[in-house]
Amino acid sequence: MLIPHPLLGPRDAGEFTYLGDARLLERPDGLGPDAPAAFHDYVYLRDNIAGVQRELWFHEQGDRSWLVVTRDTLTHEILKAELARDVVLARKEAGK
Amino acid sequence: MSDLKPMTALGGADPVRLTLGALTLTENAELALASLALRRDTIVGSGRPIPLGLTLPDPGGWVGLEGVAAFWTGPGQWMIEAEEAAGGDFAALVKTAAPDCSVTEQTDAWVAFEITSSQGEGPLVGLLEKLANLDAALFRPGHATRTAIEHMSCYIIRRAEDRLAILGMRTLANSLWHTLTQAASRLQLAA
Repeated sequence: MLIPHPLLGPRDAGEFTYLGDARLLERPDGLGPDAPAAFHDYVYLRDNIAGVQRELWFHEQGDRSWLVVTRDTLTHEILKAELARDVVLARKEAGK
Repeated sequence: MSDLKPMTALGGADPVRLTLGALTLTENAELALASLALRRDTIVGSGRPIPLGLTLPDPGGWVGLEGVAAFWTGPGQWMIEAEEAAGGDFAALVKTAAPDCSVTEQTDAWVAFEITSSQGEGPLVGLLEKLANLDAALFRPGHATRTAIEHMSCYIIRRAEDRLAILGMRTLANSLWHTLTQAASRLQLAA
């Protein structure tokens, strides 16, 4: 499997390690009033999607960047790969 | 006082050199390394510094001048190399040249092997095909990347048409040397 790294082009998936659902980037506020419930959901609850899923991959044997990879779990086709940093910054700029 | 003598990464008093067919592998014990990273607030700022006259390359790139070179290691981060400078404080020199960046000494973390070919790029491309999961034909002079060679994380640099450098973790120097010489000797058998 090849992952299309946004900076380095297609790279062997063996260079990457997988973390999980890209929603892990949306960490809840640990000091908020509903923090225990929010963290329970954040840590334990995942959708088990048969279809297009956004995932976090780490380019461990490469440039050490975190990527958000959009992958179809039915076909293993990779539709998109973005730098996780850009995803988070874009979300911050969008005012979330 | 004890009479202390420096050892190279492979444990000898002198760097090892071995010729296998068209390829000559040399331990480069005199290569000084320092990593240079932009600070967070300078990444979006007024462009990259030009330490020691080096135009810092884009992702996947390597640039070399007389005696010094730089290659991209990550977003906003580069490794700066200097020939024949491992004995000095190269990181201090880089810090002076780029005072706004974070500079870290890297010389003793890595072992560098220089591989030259006496028959053009063919043997180097053949070696690279054996070593790493890269598109060897597209890995042209001026390219540098980090990848895994037999589970060891290494930087591979194409310094010239007939020259390749491989930087690996210093503690694994002997394993990496074994891998490289095995691959080169099998290439020789196949030729």
